Amino acid sequence: MFSFLIRRVLQAGLVLLIVGFVAFSMFNFVGDPIDNMLGTERTQADIDRLRTQLGLDQPFVVQYWKFLANAVEGNLGVSYRQGRPVAEIIAERAPATLELATVSALFAVGVGVLLGIYTAIRRDGLVSHIIMSVSLIGVSLPTFLIGILLIYLFSVELDWLPSFGRGEVTDLGGWTTGFLTTSGLKALILPGITLGLFQMTLIMRLVRSEMLEVLRQDYIRFARARGLSEKAINFRHALKNTLVPVITVTGLQLGSIIAFAIITETVFQWPGVGLLFINAVQFVDIPVMAAYLMLISVMFVAINLIVDILYVAIDPRLRS
Amino acid sequence: MSELQNTLSFGNRLKRTWNSDLCWRFRHSPVAIISFAVTLLLVLSAVFAPIVAPYNPFDPGSLNLMNGFTPPSTPNAFTGDQFLLGTDDQGRDILSTILYGMRISLFVGFAAVSLGMFIGVTLGLIAGYFGGIIDAIIMRIADIQLTFPSILVALLIFGVAKGFTPVEYRDEVALWVLIIAIGLSDWVQFARVVRGATLVEKNKEYVQAARLIGRSSGSIIFGHILRNVMSPVLVIATISLALAIIAEATLSFLGVGVPPTQPSLGTLIRIGQGFLFSGEWWILLFPAVTLLSLALAVNLMGDWLRDALNPKLK
Amino acid sequence: MRKTLAATAVALLSVQAASAETFRWAGTTDPQTMDPHAVNSAPVLGFLNNVYEGLMRRNQQMQIEPALATGWEPIGTEGWRFHLRKDVKFHDGSDFTAEDVVFSYERATRPESDVSSWFASVSGIKAVDDYTVEFYTAAPNPIFPDTITNFMIMDKGWTEANSSAVPAKDAENFATRNTNGTGAFKVVERQPDLKTVVEPFGGWWDEATHNITSAEYTPIQNPATAVAALLSGEVDMINPVPTQDVARLSNSPDVKVLEDIEARVIMFGFANQADTLKYSADAGKPNPFKDARVRQAVNHAINVDAIVQTIMRGSAQPVSQLVSPAMRGYSESLAERPAYDLDKARALLAEAGYADGFSFGMKCPNNRYINDEAVCQAAVGMLAQIGLDVELETMPVSNYWPELRAQNFDMYMLGWSPGSFDAEHPIRFLVTTPNPEKKLGSWNFGAFSNDRVDELLPQIQSEIDDDKRQALLDESTKILQDEAGYVPMYVQALLWGARSNVDLTQRADNFFMLRWVTVN
Repeated sequence: MFSFLIRRVLQAGLVLLIVGFVAFSMFNFVGDPIDNMLGTERTQADIDRLRTQLGLDQPFVVQYWKFLANAVEGNLGVSYRQGRPVAEIIAERAPATLELATVSALFAVGVGVLLGIYTAIRRDGLVSHIIMSVSLIGVSLPTFLIGILLIYLFSVELDWLPSFGRGEVTDLGGWTTGFLTTSGLKALILPGITLGLFQMTLIMRLVRSEMLEVLRQDYIRFARARGLSEKAINFRHALKNTLVPVITVTGLQLGSIIAFAIITETVFQWPGVGLLFINAVQFVDIPVMAAYLMLISVMFVAINLIVDILYVAIDPRLRS
Repeated sequence: MSELQNTLSFGNRLKRTWNSDLCWRFRHSPVAIISFAVTLLLVLSAVFAPIVAPYNPFDPGSLNLMNGFTPPSTPNAFTGDQFLLGTDDQGRDILSTILYGMRISLFVGFAAVSLGMFIGVTLGLIAGYFGGIIDAIIMRIADIQLTFPSILVALLIFGVAKGFTPVEYRDEVALWVLIIAIGLSDWVQFARVVRGATLVEKNKEYVQAARLIGRSSGSIIFGHILRNVMSPVLVIATISLALAIIAEATLSFLGVGVPPTQPSLGTLIRIGQGFLFSGEWWILLFPAVTLLSLALAVNLMGDWLRDALNPKLK
Repeated sequence: MRKTLAATAVALLSVQAASAETFRWAGTTDPQTMDPHAVNSAPVLGFLNNVYEGLMRRNQQMQIEPALATGWEPIGTEGWRFHLRKDVKFHDGSDFTAEDVVFSYERATRPESDVSSWFASVSGIKAVDDYTVEFYTAAPNPIFPDTITNFMIMDKGWTEANSSAVPAKDAENFATRNTNGTGAFKVVERQPDLKTVVEPFGGWWDEATHNITSAEYTPIQNPATAVAALLSGEVDMINPVPTQDVARLSNSPDVKVLEDIEARVIMFGFANQADTLKYSADAGKPNPFKDARVRQAVNHAINVDAIVQTIMRGSAQPVSQLVSPAMRGYSESLAERPAYDLDKARALLAEAGYADGFSFGMKCPNNRYINDEAVCQAAVGMLAQIGLDVELETMPVSNYWPELRAQNFDMYMLGWSPGSFDAEHPIRFLVTTPNPEKKLGSWNFGAFSNDRVDELLPQIQSEIDDDKRQALLDESTKILQDEAGYVPMYVQALLWGARSNVDLTQRADNFFMLRWVTVN
């Protein structure tokens, strides 16, 4: 088990190195950073000075190493567009995205697992069929369309929930949170649902199919034959064995939630890193794009690692 | 994960039942028939858009601005012209624009899936057949990419390509960048499934026999194994198509897709969104319903196909 | 732990207390900078007029009244003398003196400044004493005070101490995100693209007539989202209201729409001097727009009435020149727009040797003017009818100005609102041959050039007799119309939306002044 973990950690490190390389290449080969940082009225002296300052006159490997070292220290360059450190901008925006992602993930996992169990146990019930059909529509509806429809219904027609932004946020020493005010909590509902819906349907369908699979197994039949109650069978035995694949997929989906936040944030004008990224793509603001890429990959690698560890912890067969 | 593995373990039995069983199932599934019919209808009307559509909305010279905002099937107040599904802000016939826009959506979808399939199947076959270090490298790359959702990969490729392309060519290459972006973000699924299926196939007797009589690796891979791993590929391709269509719409909605003068379904929805509050609901509704029908029909087909090829999952 | 909880509770209380009275307003773009000399565009100047002040300011009717200067008079024909207000403090508490005016003048006239054209006629400046400043002009300039109302004064000590003596146009320095003005409001929080929060400045020299305790500006990129936010009361004011949503908002009892004609003329400009086309299939071929007949053809092919009627839903006014009829110096005799006449347009093209048309690239912003992208798309359709194949590229305004400055266009869209409310203004900025040394033509991106107009400008600037001045302006307008250096299309509407309980003043320059806001 130990060697397994070591291997995974090494792999994770390798992934980060590669992603760092991609980010670094973007930085250096897409557009000319000098061109982007100096205006039209520049002199050769300006160019040379900046080139030395940025270390662009040094060998490639040295540049790459410096880039990585800087990134580890949290120095991610300066945004072409806003002209201030990328790390600072991202730190400002990250709480918004993380809070939104948390809410959507809770929604997706909570509702997804519940509906999945329900549709598996009552697989032939009318409600189950309806849930399954609606879920397919949910998968076929692009996120942005769901967002627009929710805004139209709940903000404009019914006037229940806010249509954009985070509402009132409280600053807790650099971390802005919307969890502490009514308007902040209300602002989280629509984007949270929009972002979580797709993942929710995925988890629901997965739980359902895994559960059905498990319920067909021999030991469940034996349990039934032994006269255990349906409740005990469903929850103590079946659900427990469904969890392994569910945790894997859920873990991976958490990463997706953060990435898919790009769309939700655009629709709801949510001031997170996703909105920052989409603006950066439009403006070809490479430092922001590169930093976002690295940030997301660190997050994904961490999530994957945790999932792997959980996997081992839950499934004893993998421990050998 | 487990769904995929289930699909491929079934690959072998499938080749014998493909002709009779699948068709029988199709004939007896109303969902399959309807979704197939809807897909076919939409694809055909898109392909033949220049013949079917009443106007050519991509020809700016044919537009009359005074026809702007004409409600569905109501004569325009100034020109008296009438349009079945109304017009948008530029006086473009919505029906024609949907048909032409769907052409772009479908073209991007098919091309991107083909690209993803080509790369994925090739790499999957190679990885599965040769194993060892090649396998390890390919699958690690796949693992890495799998951790990034396709929309993010597509956006990154798009952003990088935008930085590379001289401004004067951006319009021309936008469509191809879109295809490459979606296609490249899509190959991993294929590679994983094909690799798994190949691992199973390669130890089968017919492959061993072929090896014994001295067939080259290439001819074994593409002559024998490929044919036998095609059914799970088909399932993935169908579901990928739905995802690719949605991805294209999403990118266009985000404003990084096709140019505004050649709207795809996503662009139309973006435009229509601006008129949601002002009563011009048709600009948003019809493209949205079309997109939903298309994605839903393809998804249902994919779902059905998977179940039909693997009844255990039902 | 208990401490944190208590702190949180306090934070909660204070937040709620503040939120009760925070006035919120929204627009489509964020002011790119907080530096009053770095970008000469309405979103920036309009916002900063709440924070910084000029020597004089405009009242609700756009008339000039004293601000940092209490009075001014011409020094014969040599220039203007300004008497400065005493006991004025900057937000950081330092005193306002003549030194700050001289410093701000020097800063605003640097090559890095975007507003140096305001001082094209100025040859020098002198601080006579702490509260008297004299501007010297090369020729008599009777309207000089009118032209510098947006010239905002920065504190010399603060700016230099923060090494921001040079305005940063496309990059950033301390003054890009921090402010230290004398105005009624001070910036307390600035998060680019997210929000900017201002609070009343307690030490303001004038008496406050508003009842705002805190105000927050949020850029909302999507106009539909802004409308939804106004309807649900999340914001108290939006600018602009999308033309299509005017009817709906007017029908709602909770909100009102304020509509007027803005001073802004929307026009197309051309690469008048470039030798070759830069975009599309014909890139590299000789530039047809050098020929006035081709530009004329474009002018005849654009159906402005149709644009106004459909895209603008009636809330715009066709215009024949670079200023609206409400401006001083408008040429009444030249009020007629060239007729929408496709045959004439085609004939002009044929005459110029382009009977089969050609293709080129057009640049447009997509979040700067009302329905800018839709108007450009419509123009593409209209030009297609005379055989011109247009490749349209639209982009957000923060990308747009750099593209224009780099002359990356064959044809482009521009909106112009004369800060001085005088027809001389666009001639100085848009029509005279660009000349950085003389600070002329700084927004003349297509480099339109006409010797006679260049001669006329100084005459217009120094002419005191109204009739003679008008004759000079008419001559310049006529030349520009004949040459079709620009294609002016319409005067944009001013469309603001506000909650019913908000009283505010809609000024014709589209500046939203917080000091006239009352929330009931």
